[in-house]
Amino acid sequence: MLGDSRKAQEVFHTTLREAALPAATGELPKEPFWLFRDARWRCLETNKADLQPEPLELPEHDLATQASSQIEQLDSTQLAIWISAAPDPQKTALALFYLDEFDYREILDLAELKLSELSRLLAQGRRQLQAWLNAKFPEPRNR
Amino acid sequence: MPWLSRGQRTLLNCAPISQDNLADRSMRSAVSRAAPSADFVNQQNFDRAFAELVRLIPIPPETTEWFSEKDLVVGSKWTWKKMVRNPAVLAISIAVAVIAGVSVFLLVSHLNDFPGSATARKLLTVAASTRPVMLDPVSTEAGTLSDLFFMKHGLEHYDVPAEFADFRTIGCRVFEDEESRRIAQIWLGEKRMQLFLFPAERNTKTGAVLRFPGWRYVHQEGWVGAVTERSGVCFMAALRGREKDLQPYLSTAAGR
Repeated sequence: MLGDSRKAQEVFHTTLREAALPAATGELPKEPFWLFRDARWRCLETNKADLQPEPLELPEHDLATQASSQIEQLDSTQLAIWISAAPDPQKTALALFYLDEFDYREILDLAELKLSELSRLLAQGRRQLQAWLNAKFPEPRNR
Repeated sequence: MPWLSRGQRTLLNCAPISQDNLADRSMRSAVSRAAPSADFVNQQNFDRAFAELVRLIPIPPETTEWFSEKDLVVGSKWTWKKMVRNPAVLAISIAVAVIAGVSVFLLVSHLNDFPGSATARKLLTVAASTRPVMLDPVSTEAGTLSDLFFMKHGLEHYDVPAEFADFRTIGCRVFEDEESRRIAQIWLGEKRMQLFLFPAERNTKTGAVLRFPGWRYVHQEGWVGAVTERSGVCFMAALRGREKDLQPYLSTAAGR
Protein backbone atom coordinates (compact mmCIF):
# COMPACT_ATOMS: atom_id res chain seq x y z
CA MET A 1 0.00 0.00 0.00
CA LEU A 2 2.88 2.40 0.74
CA GLY A 3 5.83 0.98 -1.20
CA ASP A 4 8.08 1.96 1.70
CA SER A 5 8.78 -0.49 4.52
CA ARG A 6 9.64 2.29 6.99
CA LYS A 7 6.34 4.06 6.45
CA ALA A 8 4.49 0.74 6.50
CA GLN A 9 6.08 -0.03 9.85
CA GLU A 10 5.07 3.36 11.24
CA VAL A 11 1.48 2.83 10.10
CA PHE A 12 1.51 -0.69 11.51
CA HIS A 13 2.70 0.48 14.93
CA THR A 14 0.35 3.48 14.99
CA THR A 15 -2.60 1.25 14.10
CA LEU A 16 -1.79 -1.21 16.87
CA ARG A 17 -1.09 1.55 19.38
CA GLU A 18 -4.40 3.27 18.63
CA ALA A 19 -6.19 -0.08 18.86
CA ALA A 20 -4.62 -0.82 22.24
CA LEU A 21 -6.66 1.84 24.07
CA PRO A 22 -10.15 0.62 23.09
CA ALA A 23 -8.87 -2.94 23.53
CA ALA A 24 -7.85 -2.16 27.11
CA THR A 25 -11.28 -0.73 27.91
CA GLY A 26 -13.12 -3.48 26.06
CA GLU A 27 -14.56 -1.04 23.51
CA LEU A 28 -13.32 -2.66 20.35
CA PRO A 29 -15.64 -2.34 17.35
CA LYS A 30 -17.73 -5.44 16.78
CA GLU A 31 -17.51 -5.25 12.99
CA PRO A 32 -15.00 -7.62 11.43
CA PHE A 33 -11.87 -6.26 9.72
CA TRP A 34 -12.06 -2.92 11.52
CA LEU A 35 -8.33 -3.11 12.21
CA PHE A 36 -7.54 -3.71 8.52
CA ARG A 37 -9.90 -0.92 7.49
CA ASP A 38 -8.22 1.39 9.98
CA ALA A 39 -4.77 0.41 8.68
CA ARG A 40 -5.94 1.02 5.10
CA TRP A 41 -7.13 4.55 5.91
CA ARG A 42 -3.88 5.32 7.68
CA CYS A 43 -1.98 4.15 4.61
CA LEU A 44 -4.09 6.36 2.37
CA GLU A 45 -3.57 9.34 4.70
CA THR A 46 0.17 8.74 4.69
CA ASN A 47 0.15 8.58 0.89
CA LYS A 48 -1.70 11.88 0.71
CA ALA A 49 1.16 13.59 2.47
CA ASP A 50 3.67 12.27 -0.08
CA LEU A 51 4.43 13.43 -3.57
CA GLN A 52 1.65 12.16 -5.81
CA PRO A 53 2.50 10.40 -9.07
CA GLU A 54 1.15 12.12 -12.12
CA PRO A 55 -2.06 10.52 -13.30
CA LEU A 56 -1.09 8.50 -16.35
CA GLU A 57 -3.13 6.33 -18.61
CA LEU A 58 -1.13 3.14 -18.35
CA PRO A 59 -0.96 0.80 -21.32
CA GLU A 60 -2.86 -2.45 -21.03
CA HIS A 61 -1.95 -5.82 -22.58
CA ASP A 62 -3.70 -9.17 -22.67
CA LEU A 63 -2.32 -11.65 -20.20
CA ALA A 64 0.58 -13.59 -21.65
CA THR A 65 0.94 -17.34 -21.31
CA GLN A 66 4.55 -16.80 -20.29
CA ALA A 67 3.61 -14.21 -17.67
CA SER A 68 4.73 -16.54 -14.87
CA SER A 69 8.30 -16.61 -16.13
CA GLN A 70 8.25 -12.82 -16.49
CA ILE A 71 7.01 -12.44 -12.93
CA GLU A 72 9.79 -14.75 -11.70
CA GLN A 73 12.31 -12.19 -12.93
CA LEU A 74 10.59 -9.41 -11.05
CA ASP A 75 11.83 -8.18 -7.70
CA SER A 76 9.17 -8.22 -4.98
CA THR A 77 10.04 -4.68 -3.90
CA GLN A 78 9.46 -3.45 -7.45
CA LEU A 79 6.01 -4.99 -7.39
CA ALA A 80 5.29 -3.35 -4.01
CA ILE A 81 6.29 0.03 -5.41
CA TRP A 82 4.19 -0.50 -8.58
CA ILE A 83 1.07 -1.34 -6.56
CA SER A 84 1.62 1.53 -4.13
CA ALA A 85 1.86 3.95 -7.06
CA ALA A 86 -1.53 2.84 -8.42
CA PRO A 87 -4.44 5.19 -7.74
CA ASP A 88 -6.83 4.20 -5.02
CA PRO A 89 -9.10 2.21 -4.91
CA GLN A 90 -7.17 0.10 -7.44
CA LYS A 91 -4.19 0.10 -5.09
CA THR A 92 -6.32 -1.27 -2.24
CA ALA A 93 -8.00 -3.82 -4.50
CA LEU A 94 -4.70 -5.19 -5.85
CA ALA A 95 -2.95 -5.14 -2.46
CA LEU A 96 -5.75 -7.00 -0.70
CA PHE A 97 -6.33 -9.41 -3.58
CA TYR A 98 -2.69 -10.47 -4.00
CA LEU A 99 -2.22 -10.81 -0.24
CA ASP A 100 -4.40 -13.88 -0.81
CA GLU A 101 -5.79 -13.69 2.72
CA PHE A 102 -9.31 -12.44 1.99
CA ASP A 103 -12.10 -13.69 -0.23
CA TYR A 104 -13.74 -11.27 -2.67
CA ARG A 105 -16.64 -10.45 -0.31
CA GLU A 106 -14.21 -9.51 2.44
CA ILE A 107 -12.30 -7.31 0.02
CA LEU A 108 -15.56 -5.60 -0.99
CA ASP A 109 -16.25 -4.92 2.68
CA LEU A 110 -12.75 -3.74 3.47
CA ALA A 111 -12.30 -1.54 0.41
CA GLU A 112 -15.92 -0.36 0.42
CA LEU A 113 -16.37 -1.33 -3.20
CA LYS A 114 -19.12 -2.86 -5.33
CA LEU A 115 -18.53 -6.20 -7.02
CA SER A 116 -18.54 -4.64 -10.49
CA GLU A 117 -15.97 -2.06 -9.35
CA LEU A 118 -13.66 -4.67 -7.81
CA SER A 119 -13.98 -6.84 -10.92
CA ARG A 120 -13.09 -3.95 -13.20
CA LEU A 121 -10.19 -2.80 -11.03
CA LEU A 122 -8.65 -6.28 -10.86
CA ALA A 123 -9.06 -6.96 -14.57
CA GLN A 124 -7.59 -3.58 -15.43
CA GLY A 125 -4.76 -4.08 -12.92
CA ARG A 126 -3.81 -7.43 -14.47
CA ARG A 127 -3.68 -5.95 -17.96
CA GLN A 128 -1.60 -3.00 -16.75
CA LEU A 129 0.75 -5.29 -14.87
CA GLN A 130 1.15 -7.41 -18.00
CA ALA A 131 1.98 -4.30 -20.00
CA TRP A 132 4.53 -3.34 -17.37
CA LEU A 133 6.04 -6.83 -17.45
CA ASN A 134 6.19 -6.70 -21.24
CA ALA A 135 7.96 -3.39 -21.08
CA LYS A 136 10.35 -4.59 -18.44
CA PHE A 137 11.05 -8.06 -19.82
CA PRO A 138 10.33 -7.91 -23.54
CA GLU A 139 11.85 -11.33 -24.36
CA PRO A 140 8.79 -13.50 -23.76
CA ARG A 141 6.35 -12.36 -26.38
CA ASN A 142 2.63 -11.86 -25.85
CA ARG A 143 0.16 -14.22 -27.33
CA MET B 1 -14.13 -19.94 -23.04
CA PRO B 2 -17.58 -21.47 -22.42
CA TRP B 3 -20.59 -19.21 -22.40
CA LEU B 4 -20.71 -17.21 -19.17
CA SER B 5 -23.22 -14.72 -18.00
CA ARG B 6 -22.15 -11.14 -17.35
CA GLY B 7 -22.40 -11.74 -13.63
CA GLN B 8 -20.18 -14.81 -13.87
CA ARG B 9 -17.57 -12.90 -15.86
CA THR B 10 -17.64 -10.22 -13.21
CA LEU B 11 -17.13 -12.84 -10.54
CA LEU B 12 -14.34 -14.59 -12.44
CA ASN B 13 -12.24 -11.44 -12.39
CA CYS B 14 -12.36 -11.75 -8.58
CA ALA B 15 -11.80 -15.52 -8.58
CA PRO B 16 -9.71 -16.53 -5.59
CA ILE B 17 -6.08 -17.41 -6.05
CA SER B 18 -6.41 -20.37 -3.67
CA GLN B 19 -9.24 -22.77 -4.33
CA ASP B 20 -9.79 -22.85 -0.53
CA ASN B 21 -11.22 -19.33 -0.74
CA LEU B 22 -14.19 -20.20 -2.93
CA ALA B 23 -16.50 -18.05 -0.87
CA ASP B 24 -19.98 -18.90 -2.10
CA ARG B 25 -22.01 -21.00 -4.47
CA SER B 26 -22.15 -18.41 -7.26
CA MET B 27 -18.36 -18.10 -7.24
CA ARG B 28 -17.93 -21.89 -7.18
CA SER B 29 -20.33 -22.20 -10.08
CA ALA B 30 -18.55 -19.54 -12.16
CA VAL B 31 -15.11 -21.05 -11.48
CA SER B 32 -16.40 -24.51 -12.26
CA ARG B 33 -17.76 -23.38 -15.64
CA ALA B 34 -14.62 -21.42 -16.54
CA ALA B 35 -12.11 -23.95 -15.24
CA PRO B 36 -11.39 -25.63 -18.58
CA SER B 37 -10.88 -22.34 -20.44
CA ALA B 38 -7.33 -21.33 -21.34
CA ASP B 39 -8.01 -17.69 -20.51
CA PHE B 40 -9.09 -18.52 -16.99
CA VAL B 41 -6.15 -20.91 -16.46
CA ASN B 42 -3.88 -18.13 -17.68
CA GLN B 43 -5.47 -15.67 -15.25
CA GLN B 44 -5.09 -18.11 -12.37
CA ASN B 45 -1.42 -18.74 -13.19
CA PHE B 46 -0.85 -15.00 -13.44
CA ASP B 47 -2.50 -14.38 -10.07
CA ARG B 48 -0.67 -17.25 -8.36
CA ALA B 49 2.70 -16.01 -9.63
CA PHE B 50 1.99 -12.50 -8.35
CA ALA B 51 0.71 -13.78 -5.01
CA GLU B 52 3.92 -15.76 -4.54
CA LEU B 53 5.92 -12.65 -5.32
CA VAL B 54 3.87 -10.63 -2.83
CA ARG B 55 4.80 -13.14 -0.13
CA LEU B 56 8.44 -12.32 -0.84
CA ILE B 57 8.00 -8.61 -0.14
CA PRO B 58 10.35 -8.06 2.79
CA ILE B 59 8.74 -7.21 6.10
CA PRO B 60 10.87 -5.26 8.60
CA PRO B 61 12.10 -7.48 11.44
CA GLU B 62 10.61 -5.03 13.98
CA THR B 63 7.22 -5.85 12.51
CA THR B 64 7.69 -9.59 12.03
CA GLU B 65 8.67 -10.00 15.67
CA TRP B 66 5.12 -8.92 16.55
CA PHE B 67 3.90 -12.09 14.89
CA SER B 68 6.68 -14.38 16.01
CA GLU B 69 5.59 -14.18 19.61
CA LYS B 70 3.18 -16.96 20.36
CA ASP B 71 1.29 -14.85 22.85
CA LEU B 72 0.63 -11.89 20.54
CA VAL B 73 -3.12 -12.12 20.84
CA VAL B 74 -3.22 -14.22 23.96
CA GLY B 75 -4.58 -12.42 27.00
CA SER B 76 -2.23 -11.23 29.68
CA LYS B 77 -0.73 -13.90 31.83
CA TRP B 78 -2.80 -15.16 34.68
CA THR B 79 -1.33 -14.41 38.06
CA TRP B 80 -2.58 -14.77 41.60
CA LYS B 81 -1.95 -11.09 42.22
CA LYS B 82 -4.04 -10.07 39.19
CA MET B 83 -6.81 -12.44 40.11
CA VAL B 84 -6.98 -11.16 43.67
CA ARG B 85 -7.16 -7.56 42.40
CA ASN B 86 -10.08 -8.39 40.13
CA PRO B 87 -13.07 -6.51 41.62
CA ALA B 88 -15.42 -9.44 41.07
CA VAL B 89 -13.06 -11.88 42.79
CA LEU B 90 -12.46 -9.35 45.56
CA ALA B 91 -16.21 -8.85 46.13
CA ILE B 92 -16.88 -12.59 46.15
CA SER B 93 -13.96 -13.19 48.52
CA ILE B 94 -15.23 -10.55 50.96
CA ALA B 95 -18.76 -11.94 50.77
CA VAL B 96 -17.52 -15.48 51.39
CA ALA B 97 -15.34 -14.25 54.28
CA VAL B 98 -18.29 -12.44 55.87
CA ILE B 99 -20.58 -15.46 55.45
CA ALA B 100 -17.87 -17.73 56.84
CA GLY B 101 -17.30 -15.36 59.77
CA VAL B 102 -21.01 -15.19 60.61
CA SER B 103 -21.31 -18.96 60.27
CA VAL B 104 -18.36 -19.55 62.58
CA PHE B 105 -19.75 -17.02 65.06
CA LEU B 106 -23.16 -18.71 65.05
CA LEU B 107 -21.57 -22.14 65.31
CA VAL B 108 -19.37 -21.12 68.24
CA SER B 109 -22.21 -19.33 70.00
CA HIS B 110 -24.48 -22.34 69.59
CA LEU B 111 -21.79 -24.78 70.67
CA ASN B 112 -22.50 -23.75 74.28
CA ASP B 113 -26.26 -23.83 73.88
CA PHE B 114 -28.23 -25.96 76.30
CA PRO B 115 -31.95 -26.35 77.09
CA GLY B 116 -33.04 -23.03 78.56
CA SER B 117 -30.10 -20.99 77.24
CA ALA B 118 -32.44 -18.72 75.25
CA THR B 119 -34.48 -17.94 78.35
CA ALA B 120 -31.29 -17.42 80.36
CA ARG B 121 -30.08 -14.83 77.84
CA LYS B 122 -33.40 -12.98 78.00
CA LEU B 123 -33.13 -12.93 81.79
CA LEU B 124 -29.65 -11.43 81.56
CA THR B 125 -31.29 -8.55 79.66
CA VAL B 126 -33.85 -8.30 82.45
CA ALA B 127 -31.00 -8.27 84.99
CA ALA B 128 -29.30 -5.42 83.15
CA SER B 129 -32.46 -3.28 83.24
CA THR B 130 -33.61 -4.12 86.79
CA ARG B 131 -33.35 -1.43 89.51
CA PRO B 132 -33.46 -2.28 93.25
CA VAL B 133 -36.74 -0.36 93.70
CA MET B 134 -38.45 -2.81 91.37
CA LEU B 135 -37.99 -5.63 93.90
CA ASP B 136 -39.61 -6.19 97.27
CA PRO B 137 -36.97 -5.42 99.90
CA VAL B 138 -35.98 -8.62 101.69
CA SER B 139 -32.93 -8.90 103.88
CA THR B 140 -32.22 -12.55 104.58
CA GLU B 141 -30.10 -15.45 103.42
CA ALA B 142 -30.84 -16.44 99.82
CA GLY B 143 -31.37 -20.09 100.76
CA THR B 144 -34.35 -19.24 102.91
CA LEU B 145 -36.33 -17.70 100.05
CA SER B 146 -37.27 -21.16 98.74
CA ASP B 147 -39.92 -21.35 101.45
CA LEU B 148 -41.21 -17.89 100.56
CA PHE B 149 -41.55 -18.80 96.89
CA PHE B 150 -43.39 -21.99 97.82
CA MET B 151 -45.61 -20.55 100.52
CA LYS B 152 -46.49 -17.23 98.89
CA HIS B 153 -46.35 -18.10 95.18
CA GLY B 154 -46.78 -21.89 95.11
CA LEU B 155 -43.48 -22.39 93.31
CA GLU B 156 -42.07 -25.83 93.97
CA HIS B 157 -38.36 -26.63 93.81
CA TYR B 158 -37.44 -22.95 93.40
CA ASP B 159 -34.40 -23.67 95.57
CA VAL B 160 -31.25 -21.58 95.64
CA PRO B 161 -28.23 -23.93 95.30
CA ALA B 162 -25.92 -24.35 98.26
CA GLU B 163 -23.16 -22.31 96.54
CA PHE B 164 -25.33 -19.18 96.82
CA ALA B 165 -27.58 -20.06 99.76
CA ASP B 166 -25.60 -18.15 102.37
CA PHE B 167 -25.43 -14.78 100.61
CA ARG B 168 -27.52 -11.91 101.98
CA THR B 169 -30.36 -10.67 99.83
CA ILE B 170 -31.45 -7.08 99.13
CA GLY B 171 -34.77 -7.91 97.54
CA CYS B 172 -36.75 -10.37 95.48
CA ARG B 173 -39.79 -10.65 93.25
CA VAL B 174 -41.76 -13.14 91.18
CA PHE B 175 -42.91 -12.13 87.70
CA GLU B 176 -44.16 -13.74 84.52
CA ASP B 177 -42.27 -13.56 81.26
CA GLU B 178 -43.89 -13.16 77.84
CA GLU B 179 -44.59 -16.90 77.80
CA SER B 180 -46.36 -16.71 81.14
CA ARG B 181 -43.63 -18.65 82.90
CA ARG B 182 -43.13 -17.61 86.50
CA ILE B 183 -39.66 -16.33 87.21
CA ALA B 184 -38.20 -15.70 90.63
CA GLN B 185 -35.58 -12.94 90.83
CA ILE B 186 -33.33 -12.33 93.84
CA TRP B 187 -30.92 -9.45 94.31
CA LEU B 188 -27.84 -10.13 96.43
CA GLY B 189 -25.61 -7.69 98.24
CA GLU B 190 -22.62 -9.72 97.04
CA LYS B 191 -21.19 -7.91 93.99
CA ARG B 192 -24.74 -6.78 93.09
CA MET B 193 -25.30 -10.31 91.83
CA GLN B 194 -28.78 -11.38 90.73
CA LEU B 195 -30.23 -14.89 90.96
CA PHE B 196 -33.01 -16.23 88.75
CA LEU B 197 -35.12 -19.34 89.11
CA PHE B 198 -37.26 -20.39 86.14
CA PRO B 199 -38.92 -23.55 84.80
CA ALA B 200 -36.59 -25.82 82.84
CA GLU B 201 -37.41 -26.49 79.21
CA ARG B 202 -39.49 -29.55 78.49
CA ASN B 203 -39.91 -31.83 75.52
CA THR B 204 -42.91 -30.47 73.62
CA LYS B 205 -44.22 -33.97 72.89
CA THR B 206 -43.53 -35.91 76.07
CA GLY B 207 -43.36 -33.08 78.57
CA ALA B 208 -40.16 -34.53 80.01
CA VAL B 209 -37.65 -32.06 81.47
CA LEU B 210 -34.68 -31.47 79.18
CA ARG B 211 -31.83 -31.92 81.61
CA PHE B 212 -28.19 -30.91 81.32
CA PRO B 213 -25.36 -31.63 83.72
CA GLY B 214 -23.35 -29.13 85.77
CA TRP B 215 -23.05 -25.41 85.21
CA ARG B 216 -23.28 -23.70 81.84
CA TYR B 217 -22.39 -20.14 81.02
CA VAL B 218 -24.39 -17.66 78.96
CA HIS B 219 -23.38 -14.14 77.90
CA GLN B 220 -25.45 -11.13 76.93
CA GLU B 221 -24.55 -7.46 76.66
CA GLY B 222 -21.67 -7.55 79.12
CA TRP B 223 -23.44 -9.77 81.57
CA VAL B 224 -22.56 -13.36 82.35
CA GLY B 225 -24.76 -16.03 83.84
CA ALA B 226 -24.01 -19.49 85.26
CA VAL B 227 -26.97 -21.82 84.85
CA THR B 228 -27.74 -25.21 86.33
CA GLU B 229 -30.85 -27.38 86.38
CA ARG B 230 -32.29 -29.19 89.37
CA SER B 231 -35.68 -30.88 89.76
CA GLY B 232 -37.10 -29.27 86.62
CA VAL B 233 -36.12 -25.77 87.69
CA CYS B 234 -33.21 -23.80 86.25
CA PHE B 235 -31.13 -21.59 88.49
CA MET B 236 -29.00 -18.76 87.12
CA ALA B 237 -26.53 -16.56 88.97
CA ALA B 238 -25.86 -13.41 86.95
CA LEU B 239 -23.55 -10.42 87.26
CA ARG B 240 -22.01 -7.79 85.05
CA GLY B 241 -18.59 -9.08 84.13
CA ARG B 242 -16.90 -12.16 82.81
CA GLU B 243 -16.87 -15.88 83.51
CA LYS B 244 -13.86 -15.57 85.78
CA ASP B 245 -15.94 -13.32 88.09
CA LEU B 246 -18.43 -16.13 88.58
CA GLN B 247 -16.00 -19.04 88.68
CA PRO B 248 -14.98 -18.64 92.37
CA TYR B 249 -18.62 -19.13 93.41
CA LEU B 250 -18.91 -22.33 91.39
CA SER B 251 -15.58 -23.83 92.40
CA THR B 252 -17.28 -26.27 94.67
CA ALA B 253 -19.89 -27.24 92.04
CA ALA B 254 -19.56 -30.58 90.38
CA GLY B 255 -19.89 -31.21 86.69
CA ARG B 256 -18.11 -28.08 85.47
